[in-house]
Amino acid sequence: MKCSRPKVSRAPITSAWPSASRWLENLRELLRRQLLAEQTFLRRGVTFTVYSDDRGTEKIFPFDLIPRIIPASEWAHLEAGLTQRMTALNLFLADIYGEQRIQREGIIPREMVESSKHFRPEMMGIAAPRGLFVHINGSDLVRDEHGVDHVLEDNLRTPSGVSYVLENRQVMKRVFPNLVRDYRVRPVETYPNDLLALLMHLAPEHVPDPTVVLLTPGVFNSAYFEHSFLARQMGIEIVEGSDLVVENDRVYMRRTDGLAPVHVIYRRIDDDFLDPTVFRADSLLGVPGLVEACRKGNVALCNPIGTGVADDKAMDYYVPRMIRFYLGQDAILPNVETFLSSDLKDLSYILEHLPKLVVESVNEAGGYGMLVGPHSTKVQIEEFRAMIIDHPRNFVAQPTLGLSRCPSVCSEQLEGRHIDLRPSILNGETIKIMPGGLTRVALR
Amino acid sequence: MLSRVANLIYWMARYLERAENTARIVDVNTQLVLDLQSRQAADDPRSWMPLVYVSGGDKQYQKLHGADITERAVVDFMLFDRDHHSSMVSCVSSARENARCIRDQLASEVWEQLNSLYLKLREDDYTRYAQLGASEYTMRVQTQIQLIYGIAESMLPRNEMWWFFELGWHLERADNTSRIIDVKYYTLLPSLEAVGSALDIVQWAAVLRTCSAFEAFRKSRRGQLNLEPVVDYLLRDESFPRSVLYSIRQGGMALDCITTEAPHLADNPAQTLITKLHEALDQTVVREKIVSGLHEYVDQVQLDVAAIHAAVQKTFINYSTDGAKLLN
Repeated sequence: MKCSRPKVSRAPITSAWPSASRWLENLRELLRRQLLAEQTFLRRGVTFTVYSDDRGTEKIFPFDLIPRIIPASEWAHLEAGLTQRMTALNLFLADIYGEQRIQREGIIPREMVESSKHFRPEMMGIAAPRGLFVHINGSDLVRDEHGVDHVLEDNLRTPSGVSYVLENRQVMKRVFPNLVRDYRVRPVETYPNDLLALLMHLAPEHVPDPTVVLLTPGVFNSAYFEHSFLARQMGIEIVEGSDLVVENDRVYMRRTDGLAPVHVIYRRIDDDFLDPTVFRADSLLGVPGLVEACRKGNVALCNPIGTGVADDKAMDYYVPRMIRFYLGQDAILPNVETFLSSDLKDLSYILEHLPKLVVESVNEAGGYGMLVGPHSTKVQIEEFRAMIIDHPRNFVAQPTLGLSRCPSVCSEQLEGRHIDLRPSILNGETIKIMPGGLTRVALR
Repeated sequence: MLSRVANLIYWMARYLERAENTARIVDVNTQLVLDLQSRQAADDPRSWMPLVYVSGGDKQYQKLHGADITERAVVDFMLFDRDHHSSMVSCVSSARENARCIRDQLASEVWEQLNSLYLKLREDDYTRYAQLGASEYTMRVQTQIQLIYGIAESMLPRNEMWWFFELGWHLERADNTSRIIDVKYYTLLPSLEAVGSALDIVQWAAVLRTCSAFEAFRKSRRGQLNLEPVVDYLLRDESFPRSVLYSIRQGGMALDCITTEAPHLADNPAQTLITKLHEALDQTVVREKIVSGLHEYVDQVQLDVAAIHAAVQKTFINYSTDGAKLLN
């Protein structure tokens, strides 16, 4: 259902489009500019690695030329909703790794939290730098047929995509300079600065001039372009696990002139692979002793360990209740209607309506472990039915939505395609949301 | 600079230089065999085996080809065999893999040129080599690699990255030039009397040409084209950039630049060893080495270079973290 075709901004041809719709009519000119844009990407090396291709050729990230336009008023609403959500999620994580009030008061079942694959009991009772339990979120938003924005899910581990937003904007400025100017598009270019400020803010307080690094799984990772892009933009070192060592619970990087201290790690590696002495022992990507260094407060990780418990799709279901519980407010942005198969009432509804629902595995991202009822065969549906009955905690279901569409350049013509939106939310000294986001376009 | 990154750039330079010299070594042997003039000698498989010996790949060759020694099998092994890690193609491919890992830190032109060389070589094989002829083919590859050096030299900032590039580049060249001298040593002359004969002279000229040193040697007014002056030139010339002594001096300068950045590493073992080798080369009397065994002498030079390499690794790259300097 979801494919990766990023665009710059949003919305179908509506009131937001007076002058933009004029140039949409000139299709030939549009296609010429699409070509220009693709050439620019190739030259700039905005690529992703294709895992199956041993020739080392890299593909450019497909790019849809037609911008998604979000009017300021609509953005203000999204911004307020996302800020509220980030605030509540931070309080939730602080709570479950601390006092556990939300479980004790029965708002969220205790076993719901503890059975989450990404819950890390190792992190219980550990002070978070500056009281921040989560720093970066990439929530995925969709819009229904009534024009209402919903949160599809949060991405609180290592969300990616922001580098493509920044590169797309560079290309848009080159290809449509007038449009960017006339629409007074808000700049996204301050993102690397804001991210660096956030990372510096997390450093142990006694360190006057902290060193920040980006930890990558390596050049073969599909998101390596983004890792090296962000490291370059922020002017920080990009390191692999083997570059880091822990001595006396402090983290150092191996340099030619000796071991240089590291105070903040923007890690793009999942919890499981971070530290073989605590998590997966077979991980070669991580750093032995890193978790202990973190516990002692000698190094800060961004995102911290254990945030994944809050982007478990079953946990997303409870976010409106978290907002009510911690903030005493109603959620500004509703969730997409979700059924929990671990809830008996919901379970019988799910099993009755499987052909009409989208079923997702709670721990997977990127469309893995997913059933789209209306597009599935009887056999596939029965397979999922068995899996759901065996492991109800592992699945959630959502109705298929009449998602909003946006015109897209499809080979030689324009077609309406379903879209989503992933803004990037930073939780540092204040909550900062880049005014824009990654829009992915369904290829069918 | 990160040790891993330093090691990648250091090895990238070594692999490139090795690829170039492997092409040169194949070329020199082709010339030597041609000059033997007698068909019988030229077809003698033993004329090709020296290549495998000097590149240090005899064990692997045996594993892959057994006792089967032909021109085709040896050239294939030296240039195109992907299972032979020191073949030209393997070296270019390793250099390219290293460059890929540090692409964002290299000048993009360096990466692009190396990548296109790699893509071009993937199509090549013995048939293509035979079509163009040894000289033409190896010359083309050498020119492509020279292009990468040229781009690197004019684009890379003179910081640690460059000094590690230079260090790997020159250590490998010192090693490789000594091996080229060795090829001639292994090439049998028809009889003992042939030493100093017309054939001998022609062969030494071919060795010089392979090192792009023929004209330079002539201009250096060292006199006759025979064993002693040619070996002395390739081993010890102060100004010829492919001589062993010159390469070691350049490598030493790169090492000094690296160390200047880290004063606590002054007088590290790598520097000590490189200074020692430079002095030894400076004081070498080639005539004596010829008497006591030239092959044994160049073998020792190669071992000395290997010891410098090991010391570089231990000082800058995979040093033990116990007792390593903790920086502020």
